[in-house]
Amino acid sequence: MPREIHPGIHWIQEFGPDRPGIAKSLLDRGAHWYRPGREIHVPQNAFLFAGEQTLLFDTLSPAATDRILTDLEAVLDGRALDYLALSHPDVPHAGNTFRILERHPGAKLVAPGFGRTHELYHLEDAHKVGPGDSLDLGGKRLHFHDAAFLDAAMSMWMTEETSGMLLPVDWMGLPLMDGEGLLFADEFRSPVDEDRYAEFHGRVMFWLRYVDVARTQKEIDLVLETYRPRMIASAHGPVIRADVPHYFEMMKEVVERVATGGRTGVL
Amino acid sequence: MDRVGRERLAGLERGSGFVSTIQRARGPAASVPLTHDVSWIAENYPLGEGRNVHVSVFLIRAEEQNILIDSGSFYHRESLVRRISGVTAGEGIHSLILSHSDYPHSGNIPAFRRRWGDFEIVASSGEPEIQGLPYARRSRIGGSLEVAGRQIDFLDPPLADRSHTSWIYDRASRVLFVADGFGYHHAEDETGLTSRQLPDGFRSEEIYTFHRDTLIWLRYADPPVLMGVLREIFAEREVSWVAPIHGNPIAAEHLDDYLERLEAGVRRIVGEQAV
Repeated sequence: MPREIHPGIHWIQEFGPDRPGIAKSLLDRGAHWYRPGREIHVPQNAFLFAGEQTLLFDTLSPAATDRILTDLEAVLDGRALDYLALSHPDVPHAGNTFRILERHPGAKLVAPGFGRTHELYHLEDAHKVGPGDSLDLGGKRLHFHDAAFLDAAMSMWMTEETSGMLLPVDWMGLPLMDGEGLLFADEFRSPVDEDRYAEFHGRVMFWLRYVDVARTQKEIDLVLETYRPRMIASAHGPVIRADVPHYFEMMKEVVERVATGGRTGVL
Repeated sequence: MDRVGRERLAGLERGSGFVSTIQRARGPAASVPLTHDVSWIAENYPLGEGRNVHVSVFLIRAEEQNILIDSGSFYHRESLVRRISGVTAGEGIHSLILSHSDYPHSGNIPAFRRRWGDFEIVASSGEPEIQGLPYARRSRIGGSLEVAGRQIDFLDPPLADRSHTSWIYDRASRVLFVADGFGYHHAEDETGLTSRQLPDGFRSEEIYTFHRDTLIWLRYADPPVLMGVLREIFAEREVSWVAPIHGNPIAAEHLDDYLERLEAGVRRIVGEQAV
């Protein structure tokens, strides 16, 4: 079942399949937080924002079509879905777009405005947004931004004003053990630390291997300074609701670890 | 997705896309041979303001089987089906190797399977089901597989954006198939031309704009580190062609020139987008 993480903001999660390959790699390198025999999962998250109007941010993957449709019905509780916003048109984030629009034909599709290849993603008719664009749902006010750390070029981040929430999509994700689904970062029994974040980013943002560390860390400072978030809602990690700057410091450490230690694997 | 794709294509034929449909029909040659058994099926996508990008596929005609590299975009579906059928004399595809699952690379898999049967699909994703490819045979980045009798190496790509991307090296032909790096914003009349056919060779500006607009993370790059790893790839294996999904194929004798222009482009991206 979805979890309400702030009044009117609901977290829907696809826990994903067990990933024994990642578990083996954690065992091989002696990751201190991993307990042998525990399952490892890489989650996909979607978030429903409900003010006077409603917006769903991302769709989960095609392996979770039933989950997103069912959970969406539950949190909407008879209300209409007014907007479906895609962070980027990647299969795990956007793979249920047309199934959701079939179920909610009145919903307006919102997509990143970056680039000129929207037709290659069937997004030519979407409402395109970028830095400086906002959407007032009535009680929830959303702002769209360029993604600072991303995979696909056609990407966007989002913030929500009332909660102080930043949605950094592929950034700030981490692998979960069984039993850790839909938990806030401060609810974990095993520590949420830079080692977990490095395991994830050494896979998803493998390109950190080729970056100038100081320059990239400076960008992390800039993100914190620009958005001053009170909550972080990543597409692949636990929601952070306290001590956000501490996690940004961890992410700076992650950059250094991937740049010097290399790629940890693939997702 | 497929239904919508068909509707979009129908819309293009009826509506404002009529001119571009005609252009695509005239298009480049059905295929461009790179080696005796590897050919390029070039598809063009216009970006506006005189810039275009290829969204291509490549075909390896192995002993008795046909291997397709990527499936191309649904935007080019009808053209691709027609041209693949023509090049293979109606045989179609026996195996498909995906560079990654981004829609312009994987968007035709269901349609091709309906036409040519449940051919083998090889993909490097850690979890194919999440990428919408539950039936794929998994390749490992850094590993090798035999596909339709060919030895294929899957390389860790320094110029890519998605985690599960691999570069595909066919040992027999020594062709390295790459995405998304090594692209090029070509002029319309350069569609379907290899580096041997480009009248004035590659222009630095179009190498730069492609990588600036496609691999956003390059703004953080450390150029010597990145280019060092890239050059190692070519030092470690003999490459007859670099075959980019989004660019004009680069013959071995033009590779150093391209790399020099690429390095200048990366330095420019880093310099212009200082944090």
